[in-house]
Amino acid sequence: MDELIKRAKELLEAGTVKVVIGYENGSADKTRALFAIEPKDADKLIFDSRCVMNLATYITKAEVKGKGKMAITATLPVMRAIIQLASEFQVNDSNLLVLGITPESKMIEFKDLAEVEAFVHKYTIEIEAKYSEKLEKLDKMTPSERWSFWIEELSPCFKCYACRAACPMCYCHKCTVEFNQPQWIPVPSHDLGNLEWHMMRAIHLAGRCIDCDACYNACPLGIPLNLLTKRMLIDAKEHFGGYQPSIKADHLMSTYKPDDKDNFIM
Amino acid sequence: MSKIGVFVCHCGENISATVDCARVAETSGKLDGVAYSVDYKYMCSDPGQSLIKSAIKEKGLTGVVVAACSPRMHEPTFRKACAEAGLNPYMCEMANLREHVSWVHEKGEATTEKAIDLVRILVEKVKYNQSLNAIKVPVTKTALVIGGGIAGIQASLDIANTGHKVILIEKDPSIGGHMSQLSETFPTLDCSQCILTPRMVEVAQHPNITLYSYAELESVEGFIGNFKVKIRRKSKSIDEKLCTGCGLCTTKCPVKKIPSEFNEGLGMRTAIYVPFPQAVPNKPVIDREHCTYYLKGKCRICEKVCPIQAIRFDQEDTIEEVEIGAIVLATGFSVKQPDFFPEYGYGKYPDVITGLQFERLASASGPTLGEIRRPSDGKVPQNIVFVACAGSRDEAKGIPYCSKICCMYIAKHAMLYQHKVHGGKSYVFYMDIRAGGKNYEEFVRRAIEEDGVNYVRGRVSRIYEKNGKLIVKGVDTLLGAMPVDIEADMVVLATAGVANSDAEALAQKLHVSYDAYKFFAEAHPKLKPVETNTAGIFLAGACQSPRDIPESVSMASGAAVKVACLFSQDELTRDPLIAVVNRMAPPVYSSCVGCFLCVSACPYQAIEKEEIKNRAGEVIKTLARVNPGLCQGCGTCVAFCRTKSIDLQGYTHEQMYTEVMALLNEY
Amino acid sequence: MAEFEPKIVAFVCNWCTYAGADLTGTSRIKYASNVRIVRFPCTGRIDYMLLVKAFDEGADGIIVSGCHPNDCHYTSGNFHARRRWIMFRSLCDFIGIDIRRIKFSWVSAAEGAKWADIVNSTVAAIRELGPYEEYQKVAKKPVKEVING
Repeated sequence: MDELIKRAKELLEAGTVKVVIGYENGSADKTRALFAIEPKDADKLIFDSRCVMNLATYITKAEVKGKGKMAITATLPVMRAIIQLASEFQVNDSNLLVLGITPESKMIEFKDLAEVEAFVHKYTIEIEAKYSEKLEKLDKMTPSERWSFWIEELSPCFKCYACRAACPMCYCHKCTVEFNQPQWIPVPSHDLGNLEWHMMRAIHLAGRCIDCDACYNACPLGIPLNLLTKRMLIDAKEHFGGYQPSIKADHLMSTYKPDDKDNFIM
Repeated sequence: MSKIGVFVCHCGENISATVDCARVAETSGKLDGVAYSVDYKYMCSDPGQSLIKSAIKEKGLTGVVVAACSPRMHEPTFRKACAEAGLNPYMCEMANLREHVSWVHEKGEATTEKAIDLVRILVEKVKYNQSLNAIKVPVTKTALVIGGGIAGIQASLDIANTGHKVILIEKDPSIGGHMSQLSETFPTLDCSQCILTPRMVEVAQHPNITLYSYAELESVEGFIGNFKVKIRRKSKSIDEKLCTGCGLCTTKCPVKKIPSEFNEGLGMRTAIYVPFPQAVPNKPVIDREHCTYYLKGKCRICEKVCPIQAIRFDQEDTIEEVEIGAIVLATGFSVKQPDFFPEYGYGKYPDVITGLQFERLASASGPTLGEIRRPSDGKVPQNIVFVACAGSRDEAKGIPYCSKICCMYIAKHAMLYQHKVHGGKSYVFYMDIRAGGKNYEEFVRRAIEEDGVNYVRGRVSRIYEKNGKLIVKGVDTLLGAMPVDIEADMVVLATAGVANSDAEALAQKLHVSYDAYKFFAEAHPKLKPVETNTAGIFLAGACQSPRDIPESVSMASGAAVKVACLFSQDELTRDPLIAVVNRMAPPVYSSCVGCFLCVSACPYQAIEKEEIKNRAGEVIKTLARVNPGLCQGCGTCVAFCRTKSIDLQGYTHEQMYTEVMALLNEY
Repeated sequence: MAEFEPKIVAFVCNWCTYAGADLTGTSRIKYASNVRIVRFPCTGRIDYMLLVKAFDEGADGIIVSGCHPNDCHYTSGNFHARRRWIMFRSLCDFIGIDIRRIKFSWVSAAEGAKWADIVNSTVAAIRELGPYEEYQKVAKKPVKEVING
């Protein structure tokens, strides 16, 4: 990724951007986010298959955003997240430059977010086969079996909110779980509290989740909570013609079609 | 600490026959926060209301629950009573013990239990009610009327005569609309122009009316009482102030073969033209699509002949920005283009014409000066066939509705034909005769009985030419579906009335709803026929559905009164049950993160972006803000907001949550 | 032991279904008394979390009802609501919440008889399904067999 390092240095030296967000080596053979501010910081930039964390999470953070214009090393899921965030007015061309990394690990610098969107649209969001199988298995269960499955899967959750922290779409300053007048979501991490937290999270991500699995990767207990959002993605495809992040297009869940499915309504 | 009063109504015996009202009052009295509870025979009666008022004063009640009939019935009554006793009206809620309990359940324990539950829910809700004040919105007392047909003319005159300003815009060079094209009008056969033109002139001369002809609506922003409207005044290529309307230019214009819109293509006009002699304003416009100068850069004859140099080739469209308090939509309708019926040969045979074309033939100001002569060779047709329901009531053609005016104008056409062509034979193919209206049925009978028009009940399947005659193939269903072939010299199709092609776009511009046929939708089919679902926008005439002249005029006057009612107040008072975005102390300002998904979800475009700036004027946060003038209080945004940053007054998160909690938990 | 009386919460819009239920009353059509109506201005206002809360607090069944498509008093609140219902219902099903216990319907202000039918059929269906013990076990609420004492 010499090219990436070189370009990051140039951008920082020229003052075009104030910070370059990328990956660096962390402890125990893991990678972590790098925020290069000085040109020399850019030497630490790496990119390899271990770099799965969705860096788009950082571009909505005041600490990062506040530094000035940002450049970001963006893999396909990161680019998707950026487009979704742009459509939600969280980032724009004036504060973000995208150094894209194609699925073939080639760097492309995009002129603007419209170009990023065009690139993103070359790829549809596909559910990986290993997940499709799991989802199919769940679909075949009876509702009671699914209920037991989820209550059991969610029971170890102790609401550390790592899933929320890792998700680029969870940028709200005050999450619904933090509302206590009324207390929408029970505070304790008992079965009901866990169930409602994960249900609410899934539905808030409906039509917004770009399927990066960051939440699942972040979960210290390996709860398959990404199955919930994947299910929403499949539904979006089945009922609303599919989801693809887009800056200008109508949002999947804040719009409607007069002929949306109606057969379940008496 | 809440001090809530619960007032249980017997509604005579309507409630008490199945619900133990005394027990409801007694049980409610024990609820936390209830300071007073009582049951009474008629809570809505004067003594009943006094009971509430004195309890508010004496017990110092902070909230009231009236357990009686549907809030849709008496909520305003009891809220008013509370206000009279000094309690904020929005601190009063109603439990529906009549429509939802006593009238639908048998007498018994379960019914009384349900009544108690419903009261409990609302007692808990009222604890979270907030004092609200009615929203006051200023009113700009100028109306915009869109469309200068008879409906728009009538609405403009009526509004102007109440003393308010009106801006009337018309897309064509002259006002008058379809009515100006008509020959004579049913059921009196008075000349359309004769009754219409004085009204047109009145519009032009009225001190309260500003007429913009050749103008269209560009955009609308704002809300009832406070619309900001942009009007595109299309370039007429003349200086209207200078032009005297002498008409010299129109006589000298070399482009003379443009089918006249006014004459429905049966006559020709020039490129610089006045649509018809009685046009208002009576000043020409240049049709740039046909003018030689605009097409080829040469000519300018009109400029040379104009005695006062009023031609302006370089004139551009101008945008007029006006502030408007109410809008009347009177854009009328169109006639379905008959190429829609290949089986009737319209376009293929010049002597198959539309009803509107027949009007021009029958009109004294028309291309034949009122003589019925067929387009192909100018001969007077000796046999004429009128085909009713050409498109209308034909589901296969996508127009299942009745166009309403055709039965009457066909009778008129046939009658006019019989009056003008002595010895001529006329036939009307019809499905049913719909002649509902004052003197309408008599009129149709006259056509049949006195003027000898032959009415044949049946549909026409085909029209084709044979030996110079138009063969009309139909059936007579009153004679056992006997085939009827008529050799006609001319055929008139009563083509369906349809919405204008730009109706949908206009509706979207105005955020007015429309039906499946693109006619604008009234707010209520019975009780709000001239209102739309968008406050401050009213309907008149055939833009709502096909209508005849008296109906269009009545609607126009109705809409005008609605506007006048609105303009009779300096400020509008609106229910404060609207959405609000929460505000918090800096540096947070609000839990709203400005994703603006609510903006696209709002049916009223009531949510806008609000920038919070620091002292240096830099934007530090962008939040959603609900415009209280536009918000109608549906709450779609509320359920949508992930951060629960928007709440709906009167139906807040706390109130609704509490209701659900109270409903399922007995205390 | 008394027959199981299901607790049913109805979330309805003010303009169509609430008015429709008023008409049921005005028409004196009788129906099961198990349902409790919570009035909203529009189906668009109905927060799906409230449905979850209703189950938390012991509801055995839920009715959500509003204006027919194109009849919404607010033009499109019901259309937005429907899109959310589609997703929410699917999520519930995926989680294993018994979606037979959530009935969605369009009941207009003129459909008083339909409202009675909706309530009666829902009560019958929930009666058949029995108390929602599976959920209550998780919500840690004791299941009450009879609603009225």
